[in-house]
Amino acid sequence: MASFWTVTLALAEGLGATAKLFVLTLVFALPLGLVICFGSTSAFAPLRWLVKTVVWIIRGSPLMLQILIVYYGPGLLLGLPLLPRFTAALATFVINYACYFSEIYRGGIQSIPRGQYEAGQVLGMTRSQIFFRVTLLQLIKRIVPPMGNEFITLVKDTALVRVISVYEIIWMGESFIKKGMMWPLFYTAVFYLAVNGLLTLLLGWFERKLSYFK
Amino acid sequence: MKKMLTLALALVMALTLAACGGGQSGGDVDYVKEKGTLIVGMTDFAPMDYRDESGEWIGFDADMAKAFAKSLGVEVQFVEINWDNKAMELETKAIDAVWNGMTLTDDVKALMGTSEPYCMNAQVVVLSAALADQYRSAGSLGGLSFAVENGSAGMEALDGLGLPYTAVDTQAKALMEVASGSSDACVIDLLMAGAMIGEGTSYPDLATAVELESEQYGVGFRKDSDLIKAFNDFWGSACGDGTVMAAAETYGIAQNIIEK
Repeated sequence: MASFWTVTLALAEGLGATAKLFVLTLVFALPLGLVICFGSTSAFAPLRWLVKTVVWIIRGSPLMLQILIVYYGPGLLLGLPLLPRFTAALATFVINYACYFSEIYRGGIQSIPRGQYEAGQVLGMTRSQIFFRVTLLQLIKRIVPPMGNEFITLVKDTALVRVISVYEIIWMGESFIKKGMMWPLFYTAVFYLAVNGLLTLLLGWFERKLSYFK
Repeated sequence: MKKMLTLALALVMALTLAACGGGQSGGDVDYVKEKGTLIVGMTDFAPMDYRDESGEWIGFDADMAKAFAKSLGVEVQFVEINWDNKAMELETKAIDAVWNGMTLTDDVKALMGTSEPYCMNAQVVVLSAALADQYRSAGSLGGLSFAVENGSAGMEALDGLGLPYTAVDTQAKALMEVASGSSDACVIDLLMAGAMIGEGTSYPDLATAVELESEQYGVGFRKDSDLIKAFNDFWGSACGDGTVMAAAETYGIAQNIIEK
């Protein structure tokens, strides 16, 4: 029983890193995603191509590789000092998830009927007024389910940062294998399930709160 | 459009300049002394590096690393790394040394600067204690399925013998493979086998059989680093004053040490 307690404490320590990465990624990637979305729907063609190319590269290559490149790349290619491990992991996650979010925003924005923009223009509203007063609230409502999917994937993707030795839950679980204990690795699943269970409840609650316009 | 092109070119030039500037540095010894810490990359690998009850890193390599740092007048800092990335960790200065019972294979010597060997080791076959007596020679191993750490000296040995194996990411997982029955046998370091199997360990039913290949451990530094010479000098004096053998006795590996 003593070992169960030790393992739980070690995994809880790993959960700290996992949770920090999850929360900070959302804090930075949600707004950045909107910026990227504006870029990929921009009327200025070169900007649109540039942003779409970046989104293609980020979404089209493995996240694990991106983590390795962001952490080791500056040192290997340019001889620069490295970012701290957690910072490099966070930066990669923010960029990666912002690209996914941008596409969800774009889908949401483009699903708002064109007539509403035109009505806004007829009433003399500016583009930003139309966005914030007409589009945004409907947008948020429509993107909650696909966003929820991404949030849940993000919780599990945090496991990848162990390639650059950020000590998250799976790393902590695996470290017990050397002591001849296999079960802590599988026990980590309980932590992921608990976090994602909580997240699912939270998203459900949020969706009910958003049942305006009905 | 022209403006963007100009901007892009300026960015490329700035990066190129940064690349040229980055390569300049004095010796590694000065670099370590200046920042006041020797960062040692390692893994949890008894009896070379492991944590005691209070969570502090101990073990033969850990103790020696502490002594080496002291001889340089700096603090030692241990970082548990992903072993597959050890060369990148060194090259990018995320760590200053790889010091973790590292076998001096040709691959390792190509990737980093290495010290003189300080410890002997062998790759040994581990399997169920009931069967161990039947496998006392390399020739008797046909028909067994093996698990072995990817890229390890044990894997090279199995390749040499033409035996089939499953590559796993750590030696500890190779042991788990055998304990769980998914492989008949594994090939791991003799030192590790001594610490991890047999009575009083997590694997009381496993035993060592034939030794496949003997090998040497060394410490890895950046290529052409002056830390290599500093280590070799340190090792000579630490052998001379008995520090090395005292630590080796503590961790039960005295017969493996290469004294200078």
